[in-house]
Amino acid sequence: MSATTRAVHLVSAYKTNPISWWLAGLSLAIVASLTSNIYVLLAICVGTLSIIRLCRDDSPWAQSIGFYIKLAAIVITLRVAFRIIFNLGSSTKDAFLLLPSIDLDFGFGNALKLFGPISATAFNFALVDGFRLAAIILAVGMANSLANPRKLLKSTPGALYEIATALSIAINLAPQLIASLNRVRRARSLRGQSKGMKAITGIVIPVLEDTIDQSMGLAASMSARGFGRKGNRSKFQVIGARLLAFIAICFMVSGAALLLFSPEQQVLELTFLVLGLALAVISIKLSSTRGTITRYRKEPWRLGDVIILAASLVLMVLAFGGAFAR
Amino acid sequence: MKLVISRLSIAVAGLGSILMFAWPLFISQSSTSETQLAQTVFIVLMPLTLLLILVEFATGDISSKQLALLGVLVALNAVIRLLGAGTAGIETSFFLIILGAYVFGSGFGFILGAGSIFVSALITGGVGPWLPFQMMGAALIGLGAGLIPQANRSWLTKMYLVIYAVIASFVYGALMTLWNWPYLAGTGTQVSYVAGDPLMSNLTRFLQYEIVTGGLLWDTGRAITTSLLILLTGSALIATLKRAATRAGVGRSS
Amino acid sequence: MIQLKDLTFSYLKSDGSKVSETPQINNVNLTINSGEFVLVCGPTGSGKSTFLKTLNGLAPSFTGGVITGELKINGVELLGLEPHEFASVVGYVNQQPENAFVGDTVIDEIVYCAEQLGLPIAQIEKSVQKISELLEISDLLERPLATLSGGQQQRVAIASALVAGQKVLLLDEPTSALDLVGAAEVLRVLRRLCSEEGVTVLLAEHRISRVIAEVDSVLVVHGDGSVTKGPTATQFNDPRFVPPIIELGLKLGWKPLPITTTDAAKKWNETRPEFQAKVLSNATSEVLAVSNLEVSFGSVQALQQTSFSLAGNQITALMGENGSGKTSLCWAIQGSGTRTKGTVTTYKGDTKDLNAADRLEVLTMVPQRAADLLFLATLSAELEESDKYAEVSPGSTAKLFQSLAGRIDTSIHPRDLSAGQQLSLVLAIQLVKQAKIVILDEPTRGLDYSAKYALAKQLNSIRSQDRAVLIATHDIEFVAMIADRVLVLEKGQLVSDSSPLEVLGAGKPFASQLAEISQEVGLISIEQVKL
Repeated sequence: MSATTRAVHLVSAYKTNPISWWLAGLSLAIVASLTSNIYVLLAICVGTLSIIRLCRDDSPWAQSIGFYIKLAAIVITLRVAFRIIFNLGSSTKDAFLLLPSIDLDFGFGNALKLFGPISATAFNFALVDGFRLAAIILAVGMANSLANPRKLLKSTPGALYEIATALSIAINLAPQLIASLNRVRRARSLRGQSKGMKAITGIVIPVLEDTIDQSMGLAASMSARGFGRKGNRSKFQVIGARLLAFIAICFMVSGAALLLFSPEQQVLELTFLVLGLALAVISIKLSSTRGTITRYRKEPWRLGDVIILAASLVLMVLAFGGAFAR
Repeated sequence: MKLVISRLSIAVAGLGSILMFAWPLFISQSSTSETQLAQTVFIVLMPLTLLLILVEFATGDISSKQLALLGVLVALNAVIRLLGAGTAGIETSFFLIILGAYVFGSGFGFILGAGSIFVSALITGGVGPWLPFQMMGAALIGLGAGLIPQANRSWLTKMYLVIYAVIASFVYGALMTLWNWPYLAGTGTQVSYVAGDPLMSNLTRFLQYEIVTGGLLWDTGRAITTSLLILLTGSALIATLKRAATRAGVGRSS
Repeated sequence: MIQLKDLTFSYLKSDGSKVSETPQINNVNLTINSGEFVLVCGPTGSGKSTFLKTLNGLAPSFTGGVITGELKINGVELLGLEPHEFASVVGYVNQQPENAFVGDTVIDEIVYCAEQLGLPIAQIEKSVQKISELLEISDLLERPLATLSGGQQQRVAIASALVAGQKVLLLDEPTSALDLVGAAEVLRVLRRLCSEEGVTVLLAEHRISRVIAEVDSVLVVHGDGSVTKGPTATQFNDPRFVPPIIELGLKLGWKPLPITTTDAAKKWNETRPEFQAKVLSNATSEVLAVSNLEVSFGSVQALQQTSFSLAGNQITALMGENGSGKTSLCWAIQGSGTRTKGTVTTYKGDTKDLNAADRLEVLTMVPQRAADLLFLATLSAELEESDKYAEVSPGSTAKLFQSLAGRIDTSIHPRDLSAGQQLSLVLAIQLVKQAKIVILDEPTRGLDYSAKYALAKQLNSIRSQDRAVLIATHDIEFVAMIADRVLVLEKGQLVSDSSPLEVLGAGKPFASQLAEISQEVGLISIEQVKL
């Protein structure tokens, strides 16, 4: 086994925790959104695509990358098209594309002057913007292609255990629902055709009733196997977790507001955001420790995950450092 | 006490999320250089905000029966969204979010909205940075639908629901366009936002952007399909859902 | 050990009043010993499921209603607690395991209860190993649940119910969706759990004839609120659900009543009762011709090239194990199912080419999931709609339904009927139509014996009107009672087309119980035995 294949093996999709790929994708997206350097952006596009090629397995979500590539292409085109069509045709200094302009008046606001001369700077700017979006899309696409969503639902924090359960029920039910829609439609024809309203309800109602019955059976089976036991957390702990969440939300929202309305106060802004983020994570952790449920097969953190996470962390620090230094 | 704090958190987080959608309309001029940073920060903040609100709703004890019902409706929504997908302006999943939230209440509606978008994205591969924003938009619509007053006449109920559906369709459309506005139009075009400009002139440009991108047409389609589906199936579905609510011992009052 | 004292359970209407004067379960006093294997039976809709659910809190938690009295398990009073508080003591297995699964793989599913109860990982590991060996699923642990056979799935469900060391196991019709092989697998492990592990098993079943020899005692939920328990031989005096073997004993006045086939065979040999030849109806004119029919789904061939015809004045049974292609064949004949090749000719033409209305005029069918046909909000609305559609005099459907399921309050929601009652309703709706061809897919699942007799009577009258009936079923005793001809499918291939006397005769894979007992040629059903 060569060094590269061994390295790939270490981080490939089925060997890693889904969370690490999501964090990696997210940090690449953040780096992309903070830079205006076309080479960095291109590197991210090419990099994510090759990582996907190397590390993906043959699961259905790994096939979704085609969708992301198409979307990225569409976004670049749209971004440039907007620049060309709705260009603010004031400067003709370094114009490289001279198009006749057309007026479009909606009867409110300024009439739009479509097309007109386009400067190379503006064009470049739009192109970089387009590539930035494409890079973000591909980075998230990478996470989506390499992380098994079911595994991800299993790794959700305990505070979201109920919602994750509901979503896994939904994911399991969806294909059954399509099957039962087809089944009921066929069965309905055995009863005789009703017209109009009855025809729709004649299919929707049995499917819904059937699925609800089924889900109640599932709920009964979950309850009968112990689902719904409450933790033995004190009232103090419960209220404490809620209070912490509230403070976290306040910090986050005011940090966001500062960023938009008074960007001069960089230190305050940064403090609020970081504090909000940290408190949010702590409050979710706190709401998660209920200690009533065992996780028999927790997704372990392996060497591959450590490599992915370390790389993502370095990238993020560099990108944010650069952004705030500006 | 716990409930009061929870409600407060949800309110603040809800306001914050609106800010994260609508910032191009009233960002100050001095922040021009910061917009790229703001966009990035919001890509992180939005999912976290969503998560925190979901935790607030989830820590109020959810029974296995509620979970199962939630699972059913989310799955149903994801499937019918799949059936309607691809045709411009046809939105087949909103009516069920509205009906579900109407019968089961705001908290349920919030989770139902967010969950429906999430699961259908997982199925169709539409996961991206926009996903938390779409989830938040649909979740807020669910939240609002849970507040529609209960009428005791069937036609009145339907009227309330249809009015709400129309408003919700346009609001959702506006929120999503607001989100992609700075991304797709960027700055410096005639239909872009201008930092520090008066609200009205930014709004005007936003409306022009909505028109030239066909967003309004799309929203109209969404409003029509959602209203039609509510009119056609509303009574039967509400009856079925209410029966399920009684069986599961859940509903608006609880 | 389970002790019930004055246990009473009533359903409530949405306004809080009781549904009926007499509670569903009324003043029950009984004891069930550790390691006892108890069969829970009773007529259709009598409340077997409800009774089981009172033993782990699912009633009233999931059914609504009120419960009073005492319920002690291992000496601890548990009445009024939520189901999850029963979880460490009582295991529960549903009718359709695939609908109750929460995991993706076998191991996920098995550990679920242990996880919810917060057991330490080391302990979970140990009990997974033990329980999977006991249930013979050790080599399946990593398999996705969807790839398992019905019998395997049911064993996984049982493992999951017992993983936390529960000593009481409740099963609600665990074999009703299984074929003979799957059902036998499940029964075998249940027997073993009782005798080797001291697990108390309560098994609710409709198809009691094959179970009865395995159990220690029988508990009858009578439907009038009373519940009785005792040794098997003493419990069957209600003609609505007496299994054939007991019916035979009762008919011939055998004492003591034989319960196992071996005992009955011995008794038969001693007494040699007389019996009459089975009267099989002769085929008249051909009503339907299937020729070169083939069905494939993708690369899977569900039905290989098949040709046969159905004649008026005959009831034809279609038998075969799960997955042998019975349902595919039914739908292909009906016309809307997938067909790869071949034709199905009726007097109006090929069913595939007919429009929906013509198809309904030619053919009526009850599909396996009968409830799919129900969509109205009350029983009375369903019955009326049926009369109107079939253009029969008002009340015809109701009358037929009553003969199958007994008298039922028509203001209730059809979904609140028991599975057997829902099937009866759909049978009534479909059989009241005058179509020339009748196709029934598993029409006896969940029906008690009296409902089966009523159905048989209705089918006999349909036969006498020169119409053709095709029944796809696992129910051997029902086939023995009613069929004039039996088709057997094996892996999508029509392997036999002959008289029931041959297919259900002694020593054959589908031998009827009476044939096994008597070993007489030409004797398959109890009606033939003379007093």
